[in-house]
Amino acid sequence: MRINIDGVLRTVVHSYPCSLHIDPVEKKPFFHFLPGTRTLSLATVGCNLHCKNCQNWEISQANPEDSQAFFCPPERLVELARTNQCTSLAYTYTDPVIYYEYTLDTSKLAKTADVRNILVTAGYINQEPWKKLLQYVDAARIDLKSISDDFYRENCSATLKPVLDSLVLTKSCGVHLEVINLVIPTLNDKPEQIGELVRWVKANLGNDTPLHFSQFYPQYKMRHLPPTSAQTLDMARRTAISEGIQYVYIGNIASRQGQNTYCPGCKKLLIERSGYTVLQNRLKEGCCPDCGQKIYGVWK
Amino acid sequence: MTRREFIQFVLKTASAIAVGAYVISKKVSPRKFIRAVRNKKYPGSIKQLSNINTQGKWNG
Repeated sequence: MRINIDGVLRTVVHSYPCSLHIDPVEKKPFFHFLPGTRTLSLATVGCNLHCKNCQNWEISQANPEDSQAFFCPPERLVELARTNQCTSLAYTYTDPVIYYEYTLDTSKLAKTADVRNILVTAGYINQEPWKKLLQYVDAARIDLKSISDDFYRENCSATLKPVLDSLVLTKSCGVHLEVINLVIPTLNDKPEQIGELVRWVKANLGNDTPLHFSQFYPQYKMRHLPPTSAQTLDMARRTAISEGIQYVYIGNIASRQGQNTYCPGCKKLLIERSGYTVLQNRLKEGCCPDCGQKIYGVWK
Repeated sequence: MTRREFIQFVLKTASAIAVGAYVISKKVSPRKFIRAVRNKKYPGSIKQLSNINTQGKWNG
């Protein structure tokens, strides 16, 4: 993505997204950030991780020279977001860290145009550039793929600590944060592994951080493993709830309770979803209409 | 050489060594941050912007 030409480091993907679509924000997934809104979603090719299970490997593991892209500079992106009634720009599909310069320039511009910036990332980045980018970011959905460093090394060509540091920094900077964990059979689906992950989230990010457990589907270099069962995802959800996490969701699979938001105080249904569609949203000014409890999120 | 000249010589030499060492250390140590500049040409092929009002087929 970056090449050294005559001693000058150049990014070749800046302004050249390979994918540009309008998605519901629930697809990212963000369940506590402007529910029911549209987000202009973009990605360039490439990724700084090389996950064997990557679901978007055709673009994340591609080289620019082998790919097709649009010319779409930051000004054009912001204009497209505004003209298509998108409340936010989502830097997603691959990883905004790999096209950092493009993300940063676009985020700065979007901020001045009242378009929100949301990141969908693995959070594998050094603290200084992350902090610089977070100044312009409204929400981040970060993958916590496992709580094991060995998992990151063996399956993602990465390490765990930078990801944990990014999660903590995001929350401490006041940026809206949602965490996702892809549950992969035999690799990170043991109750004790999930328990450890959940306890880390609670201790370091707080029990109000929304936590999504997502179904694995055989892809790329992990076609030999079966999809995650509904029972395993239910077990993960129950584990998180029993450890005190307030908002726990299940994704990539039909799950009635695992898609809805319930009040942690009175347990009443607050937001009902079906797939990426919001069927009803009972929140009043970000609070439960029944008991008045404030619900973590960005609601307007 | 007077005492004053000797002190001046020592100070000049020491500062020259300090500046030289600083410059060399800056050159040999890797820079912590380097911002890549935008390249005008894309190495792959360019396509026309199509209908963006469809959901992306990619995850996320």
